[in-house]
Amino acid sequence: MTYLTGKHISRRALIGGAISLPLLDSMRPAMAAPAKGGGQARRVAVVYVPNGIIMNDWTPKGTGADFEFSRILKPLAPFKSDINIVGNLTNPVAGKAKGGGHAKASGSFLSASEPKYTVGSDVHAGLTFDQLAARKFAAETRVASLQLGCEDSRMVGNCDTGSSCAYTNSISWKDADTPMMVEVNPRSVFERLFGNIDPSLSPEVRARRALYRRSILDRSLESTQKLVSTLGPTDRRKIDEYLTSLREVEKRIELAEKDTEVPPLEKPSGIPFQFADYVKLMFDLQAIAFQSDLTRVSTMMIGREGSVRTYPEIGVPDPHHPLTHHRGHPDFIEKVTKINCFHVELFAYFLDKLKNTPDGDGSLLDHSTILYGGAISDGNQHSYVNLPLLVAGQAGGQRGGRFVMAPEKTPVANLFVNMLDRVGVATETFGDSTGRLDLNA
Amino acid sequence: MKKNCVGCHNAKVQSGDVNLSAAHNFDGDRELWERVTAKLKSGEMPPQGAPRPPAPEINAVTRWLDGEFLRQDRATKPDAGRPTARRLNRSEYNNSVRDLLGVDIRPTENFPQDESAFGFDNIGEALNLSPVLLEKYVDAAERVVRTAIFGPEKLKPANIHYSAPVRLNELLTNDTKGRPLTPEQVKDYDLSGLSTRHAAHFLHRFPVDAEYNFRLVLNGHRPNQSEPVNPAFWVDGVKIKDWMVDATDLEGQIVEVRAAVKAGEHLLSMSYLRNYHGLPASYNGPEPSNRKAEPLIGTRGKLTEKDIETLRKYGTKIKTDRVETRIDNRWESLDIGGPFNQTGGPSKGVFVCATKDTPCARQIVASFAARAFRRPVTTTEVNEFVSFYHLTRKQGDSFEEGVATALQAVLVSPNFLFRLERDPLVKAAGADQPVNQYELAARLSYFLWSSTPDAVLLRLAAANQLRQPAVLTAQVQRMLKDPKSRALVENFAGQWLQFKNIDVMKPDLERFKDFDESLRYAMRRETELFLNNIVSQDGNVLDILDADYTYLNERLARNYGIPGITGPEFRRVDMSKNPRGGGILAHGSILTISSYSTRTSPVLRGKWILENLLNAPPPPPPPSVPALDDTKVGQSASLRQQMEAHRKSPACASCHSKMDPLGFGLENFDAVGAWRDVDGKFPVDASGALPGNRLFHGPVELKKLLKDDRAAFVRGMTDKLFTYALGRGLERYDRALVAGIADKLPAQNYRFSQLVVEIVKSYPFQMRRRGNLTAARLGETNP
Repeated sequence: MTYLTGKHISRRALIGGAISLPLLDSMRPAMAAPAKGGGQARRVAVVYVPNGIIMNDWTPKGTGADFEFSRILKPLAPFKSDINIVGNLTNPVAGKAKGGGHAKASGSFLSASEPKYTVGSDVHAGLTFDQLAARKFAAETRVASLQLGCEDSRMVGNCDTGSSCAYTNSISWKDADTPMMVEVNPRSVFERLFGNIDPSLSPEVRARRALYRRSILDRSLESTQKLVSTLGPTDRRKIDEYLTSLREVEKRIELAEKDTEVPPLEKPSGIPFQFADYVKLMFDLQAIAFQSDLTRVSTMMIGREGSVRTYPEIGVPDPHHPLTHHRGHPDFIEKVTKINCFHVELFAYFLDKLKNTPDGDGSLLDHSTILYGGAISDGNQHSYVNLPLLVAGQAGGQRGGRFVMAPEKTPVANLFVNMLDRVGVATETFGDSTGRLDLNA
Repeated sequence: MKKNCVGCHNAKVQSGDVNLSAAHNFDGDRELWERVTAKLKSGEMPPQGAPRPPAPEINAVTRWLDGEFLRQDRATKPDAGRPTARRLNRSEYNNSVRDLLGVDIRPTENFPQDESAFGFDNIGEALNLSPVLLEKYVDAAERVVRTAIFGPEKLKPANIHYSAPVRLNELLTNDTKGRPLTPEQVKDYDLSGLSTRHAAHFLHRFPVDAEYNFRLVLNGHRPNQSEPVNPAFWVDGVKIKDWMVDATDLEGQIVEVRAAVKAGEHLLSMSYLRNYHGLPASYNGPEPSNRKAEPLIGTRGKLTEKDIETLRKYGTKIKTDRVETRIDNRWESLDIGGPFNQTGGPSKGVFVCATKDTPCARQIVASFAARAFRRPVTTTEVNEFVSFYHLTRKQGDSFEEGVATALQAVLVSPNFLFRLERDPLVKAAGADQPVNQYELAARLSYFLWSSTPDAVLLRLAAANQLRQPAVLTAQVQRMLKDPKSRALVENFAGQWLQFKNIDVMKPDLERFKDFDESLRYAMRRETELFLNNIVSQDGNVLDILDADYTYLNERLARNYGIPGITGPEFRRVDMSKNPRGGGILAHGSILTISSYSTRTSPVLRGKWILENLLNAPPPPPPPSVPALDDTKVGQSASLRQQMEAHRKSPACASCHSKMDPLGFGLENFDAVGAWRDVDGKFPVDASGALPGNRLFHGPVELKKLLKDDRAAFVRGMTDKLFTYALGRGLERYDRALVAGIADKLPAQNYRFSQLVVEIVKSYPFQMRRRGNLTAARLGETNP
């Protein structure tokens, strides 16, 4: 007996109804830009998923071009020619490091360097490969790189048994001491890309205000340089950071003044209620940023390492992390697989968007290299060997369509060297790499 | 030692990376020996199965080691610690501009998260300044200054849409645990509807003072034959309006109201008044309706022609499949339109003169810069900022615009964004010296208010009086009584006890059908009010461990199962007769943040207590820890039985024997803090034993025992408050100070203000270690 009868909201309405933002082709002439340094712009992205993967449901059958998509990877079947699944890669650093099993995985992943075991302010890992690329492209785009996340990073305290939250909240590190905080609010990402200009003001007023801002920054730079010389060394380091940022902001304002185009999507109002909509919106923003050549580097954490998000919309009302310590229990494994599948479906949305956005003589996907996967294979054991990874995109002549079995225990850094190479950032070594893993070979 | 320890911990074997045979240098290996002491005390070492010396022997060793540590600490000279310029963090920035300009728009809302260390986000060393953040500072300076000078930004009306949260259907004749309600219980419900499952709540931040339009879209279906429904709308628990809607099918029905709202965060609520009243008599509710029945249609099988006709006539909907019937929404959405008729003008106090000429501009800029920099400013500095006024005037802009540009420049200066403490030009490098009076004022105000010093503090600093012990004590007392000391609750306690995390918890909708924004809000309020009382009324800090009172409103009281508390406003409630008891461990906020979204975790709760209340964080677990099987909890075996099995493994036992009993003592509280006597099929067993065979039954007895550990608690709290006050991690040379302060508290009746006064008067709070000034000046020092 019920006193009031609930109204119908179909399941579909609850989980579907993505509010995807179209990339309007009519906007393109103003937006699409060949690389400012001449030639075709190439992009690098990382899409990170936490807590490991059910490897039995991830690993395809067969190898080389002749493989069968696994249950988890099935949503990527339409993109077979654009992707390579890579087996046997290992993160030896995480295996050796001290600290929480999740912290050392995400904390070492993209830098292939050991994260220092600490909860203090002395966090230390390494420059990540995406940031190496960002350094190279920084001069040519308005925003050097994007770090996005789809999970609130407001948690405080130590995140993983004595390891700093920095290691589980961030995967990109600007240098060995500086983790880059993820931006979780789509609205802030939008403002980061397109600035926070008030369009209701007349061009004259806007120009005057811009002039005032510039002169404030200029004078600050001068007077702060004088100030620095009177400070002690530790204070000085902080104020140097201020100066560096000041210079970068000046440069960014200069670049922004050259572009006067209207953003090709509306400013998002905040974080969408449904997780799928949220993730898709974050992918949209990355696609727009690439399309408009506002940045060429982005990393995104679908969840932070150790995530306890629940997924009731796909029949998994249990928190993710405890589920992954499944001890072989088939119900738990099934639920983790469901989450793994759901993430890959969302990633397929991103690939679809990139593939259908024209760019130069092809599509955005043709000129990108995108790493998808995580820093833990078996979440139950916190295993760092045979990581679940795939690379999408054909930037720099990458061919796709294969399940590439690397030699056993190849460091994942060897793949990063290859990816960097594909976007024109030549490096012989990276982190603990032992060579270059050529996926075309 | 040699007999019992070195067998495993020697140069060759080095079990656990520990080699005791080499650790002769007691001073240099202090940390190692502290670990040894801890292991011996906890009984983890020697491990099970190894020969164990009798307890008196072990005690003799630990006593001797403790004595040595104490001797060492006493012999260590106090040290001011490494100075680091501290960047204002988000809340410090918000509060500072609020107090400087009278503008409370919290511009840092979309700033990147501040880096934290040692559990706090005000640690100078950790706080970085990225280009993204600097860009935000530039934007924020413009926004706050323009708001202060020209009044709040004129916003175009816009619409903000909130979908009502999805509620899963549970028989409303059952309580939230699925137990049938008695007829009395059916009649005893929250007449306002604010605590019922028909309510939808939204926490919304309004940008400006103005009128806003609220459009409530209803959903759901009132049974045939009922009296009209009575939807209503509240802001912060104050009813704005209610309506009568006489329809069976409520989907898409709209009611609207326009109301004036102040800028800032408010809790918006919509619900149905007297919802169980006026139902058909068959529902056994209060005041049954005596309306005539309308024709009904079947709820199974295909619709007949006649059904379709009835549907057309009465708009009745029928359930079609299982999934859909599980969703039980009484609300579709809330749309907020506005702002309209915006109010609020420029803030007073910026224009300290009225002549609108250059001398006046100069006066405004000089007084503002001095307040913003928390110190007197030099003529050179003032000239520099006044030059922006001239620049703006030259462009043809007004006097006010000129002042605005100058003030913006002040707010992006490192002298405002960082708390810079300057070394005087005398004395040898490396020596400690007192910070100057202005710097002391800033240390005080950012410690207790997370904000800039007020006029009183600056005046005392100027008069060189602030450092006088009596003045300092009086100022601390005054500052704690000031409402601005709420910052200490929010920023210090919020991070120390982590109750801020309640904002991001997502209890499982299926299991905790009652959890909503209003409960989340109420949980946070309870803890804030409780701690705020201790801070501003100079309470006893041991109340945090155990108290006989708390703060409740109807929403929270119903969640806790405490009768007789009606209405949305909070009040102090005596808990001495209630089995929950008081203190932070009876707060829904703490009980929720230390649970998983689906279930309680005695381990998480035990760990939370050890880390935050008893100053004894457990070490990390070994890799590949098997987790609990959630599906079996409450089914094949109780959670407790399962965990006891888990603890049989010696690898786990050493820590879990400390953590788990603490958590078990709180098992009467479910994962959202509601009281329970059974978990699944099993009665809750909330008994256990703390080390030393101290037995307890239930949370009240557990908390009594924890009060025995008050020394550890006070020590831990002092440690955290000291870290927060200094904005740096504590070093070994701080230990004697922390211990000394903590030891003084019992004689002071554990009063909070005494703890603060002791910290404020302590050596590192008053002193600053000199940087290597000469070398830095010559540009020779590398950081």
